[in-house]
Amino acid sequence: MIELSNLSVIFGRGTPLEKQALSGLDLAIETGSFVTVIGSNGAGKSTMLGVLAGDVIPTSGRVAIGGRDVTRIATAQRAKYVARVFQDPLTGSCGALTIQENLALAAARGSRRGFGLAIGSNRREEFRARVAELKLGLENRMDDRMDLLSGGQRQALSLVMATLAGSEVLLLDEHTAALDPGMAEFVMELTQSLVEKHKLTTLMVTHSMRQALDYGTRTVMLHGGKVILDVVGDNRRNLTIEDLIEMFRKARGGETLDDDALLVS
Amino acid sequence: MKFLTAAAIATLAFAQPALARDVTVDVTAIVEHPALDAVRDGVKDALGEAGFKVGENLTFNYESAQGNPGTAAQIARQFIGNGPDIIVPISTPSAQAVVSATRDIPIVFSAVTDPVGAQLVKQLQKPGGNVTGLSDLSPVADHVALIKEILPSVKTIGVLFNPGETNSVTLVELLKKYGAEQGIAVVESAATRSSEVQNAARALAGRVDAIYVPTDNTIVSALESAVTVAIESKLPLFTADTDSVSRGAVAALGFNYYDVGKQTGAIVVRILNGEKPGDIDINVAAGTDLVINPGAAEKVGLTLPKSVVDRATKVIQ
Amino acid sequence: MSQIAFLGAVELGLVFSFVAIGVYLAFRILDFPDLTVDGSFPLGAAVAAVLIIAGWNPWLATAIAMAAGAAAGLVTATLNVKFRILNLLASILTMIALFSVNLRVMGKPNVALINQDTMLTPFFGHGLSEFYVRPLFIGVLVIIAVFLVWRFLASDLGLAMRATGANPRMARAQGVNTSLHIYLGMALSNALVALGGSLFAQTNGFADVTSGVGTIVVGLAAVIIGETLFHSRLILWALVGCVIGSVLYRIAIQLALSSDILGLKASDLNLVTAVLVACALILPRLRRGRAAA
Ligand SMILES: Nc1ncnc2c1ncn2[C@@H]1O[C@H](COP(=O)(O)OP(=O)(O)OP(=O)(O)O)[C@@H](O)[C@H]1O
Ligand SMILES: [Mg+2]
Repeated sequence: MIELSNLSVIFGRGTPLEKQALSGLDLAIETGSFVTVIGSNGAGKSTMLGVLAGDVIPTSGRVAIGGRDVTRIATAQRAKYVARVFQDPLTGSCGALTIQENLALAAARGSRRGFGLAIGSNRREEFRARVAELKLGLENRMDDRMDLLSGGQRQALSLVMATLAGSEVLLLDEHTAALDPGMAEFVMELTQSLVEKHKLTTLMVTHSMRQALDYGTRTVMLHGGKVILDVVGDNRRNLTIEDLIEMFRKARGGETLDDDALLVS
Repeated sequence: MKFLTAAAIATLAFAQPALARDVTVDVTAIVEHPALDAVRDGVKDALGEAGFKVGENLTFNYESAQGNPGTAAQIARQFIGNGPDIIVPISTPSAQAVVSATRDIPIVFSAVTDPVGAQLVKQLQKPGGNVTGLSDLSPVADHVALIKEILPSVKTIGVLFNPGETNSVTLVELLKKYGAEQGIAVVESAATRSSEVQNAARALAGRVDAIYVPTDNTIVSALESAVTVAIESKLPLFTADTDSVSRGAVAALGFNYYDVGKQTGAIVVRILNGEKPGDIDINVAAGTDLVINPGAAEKVGLTLPKSVVDRATKVIQ
Repeated sequence: MSQIAFLGAVELGLVFSFVAIGVYLAFRILDFPDLTVDGSFPLGAAVAAVLIIAGWNPWLATAIAMAAGAAAGLVTATLNVKFRILNLLASILTMIALFSVNLRVMGKPNVALINQDTMLTPFFGHGLSEFYVRPLFIGVLVIIAVFLVWRFLASDLGLAMRATGANPRMARAQGVNTSLHIYLGMALSNALVALGGSLFAQTNGFADVTSGVGTIVVGLAAVIIGETLFHSRLILWALVGCVIGSVLYRIAIQLALSSDILGLKASDLNLVTAVLVACALILPRLRRGRAAA
């Protein structure tokens, strides 16, 4: 269960660049649901994920994960419950470390890190098996540095890393946006299967209306830092991409979108 | 012709038996600095006067550590590996680096203020072992007396120094001691680098009757900054380093470091001629020079007393 | 070059390899340009020298010198992490402050150790010349240090430190307390540098406030020579590279001192070092540039 209540975030408070990114946002997400989040640029989607992850401390309001108030808990401490995959494949994994080391780093998320060897022989086998499941052949490159891999490979591994340490919540911020269509498809399927397998409560930000409707159990639209549309169940099943775009338009005060084509893709 | 040459060699050999063998003297200093360079030149010339001449029978190696004790350590090993007849380290860190690395090769240090404190030797008289040398402890008591002679009304002396230099700290302690004996207070003003000298001098203006600069490499290297401030605030500037008088100090009573070098060289020659370093007492360098600058005195509204002018070994016009 | 001079260069190179490993930890692992080392090297020398003169066991004195170095690293880390002062500036502040601290610790600018018993004294006089004993003894310490640092960097904690330097955002997302690792890394780095300083004082017979001048450049030079030679991404090789780089640097200086072949004098060493470091910094960039083209 995730609860965001009356969340406000104001960046650069008191400066000429003051910007209210979230304005009294309320959202409750049941455990195990997979929510797709849409909204125009600047709507506050990334900020909302940032607040959940701990990167952004809200100006007011409350954040709770599984009943625990985490509003003021630092990112690192919260990482026990929250796993993340970033839009930029370079952000989500560490290029200077090997595949194996990246996995070891993720596997220790939430547990106490000590002087024990990060990569013991039993872990090595486990990591290899997990990577082999991707069927990308990466299990033979476990000692290669991460920066030798393609963006798609890194993103796929980031997903594996996100599920290694048994978190409750998975945050995905446009995690396929930087990939070619084939790889994006592959990563989305992988996301779907991992989310199901590990029963993760998931929030996925996307600009693709198709992804927003094809995946997940619930769709939320943000605008001006608030939730302006929230559909589940039959309502959602009956929704078409065209309907969504129409709603988008309305939310923007009737102006037409030049990038409809992009949204439909 | 052949006969003449042979005769000349025979005569020389007779006059100076030391010429019979070739000797190597290795000299090192922690940094290149006019005073330390003058010591080196003095050593070389003293050797020359005793018949040890570069290019004939003397190999004279010199290395400066460029202010880096790590390099000083390497130079020490370099010299010891070469196995010279004598090593002459100039300045405290260079001397420590050499002394800690050999117990065999004779060492004659120079320009070290406190050889016992620096653990180069256990005592100044008959030091024993392979080490002897010359201390350049500045005659601070005489400096206080000189200031009092030129400026009888002096109540407070301001001292400019770098607390990072071993010798300066010792000298400032001595200045306070001898000053107290004469009823003169001492105000300290520190500069850790040459760019800070001007500010350090300014800090003294209005609080003291005279400014005194000990043999401090940092202050001496930026003496002009101190001179400017001294003239501005009409304070006479006294130094321990005689070369500083031509740069604007009123008077100095100190060593001529070239002379210090020659005295060091004389010790080297004694060892080359068979004396044991451990048998040679360590003395404070002699030959204090009084250098005055009446023009600089005039600029701060001061007339030098006749007694001082008469005694001066050098007058800067 | 004589044998004694060669052994001296190896010995000094080994002493400075602790500095090189410290610099490697700060610059390469943590990505923290740390100039504190110019102060923590003489700090290590000062603390060890003063305690040894006060009659402490030299091993204990050295351990406390390392702790003092660690404290200096923590000060820099605090200025940076807590008070958000730019890392380079934070380290310069600590370095400047340490000059005064070192003077306070020693009470004077130079403390002599020539007649004191040091860590090395028990190993002298067993038949082997001191010129061999010193590099051998320090060599053993270096091997232990390399192994421990390597083992640490291979642990869960060490991995988290490497991630902190390489990608702090990702590290935090993986539950790594990046601030903690900056504290830890800076403490470790400066403790090693202080160990180098205390060994320098014990092998050369004195601690001097000026002995920190240029420590960072020497450390960087060693790291870079090692990287250029080994060109390996494995941590162990990088650490070994630090040691070899440091020793080669000293041998290069010794060559410059002992031969007239290149016409070099000690007075040219600063220029040689600067050119060396600059080359090594530019080379990888050129290589990368060519690869991208
Ligand atoms: N760190 C920050 N400092 C100042 N303003 C910020 C900051 N982060 C975000 N903003 C502003 O807050 C608003 C919401 O940004 P946010 O990144 O949440 O939007 P988004 O919905 O993710 O948009 P996009 O679709 O472009 O990713 C924007 O106007 C943005 O410029
Ligand atoms: Mg965004």
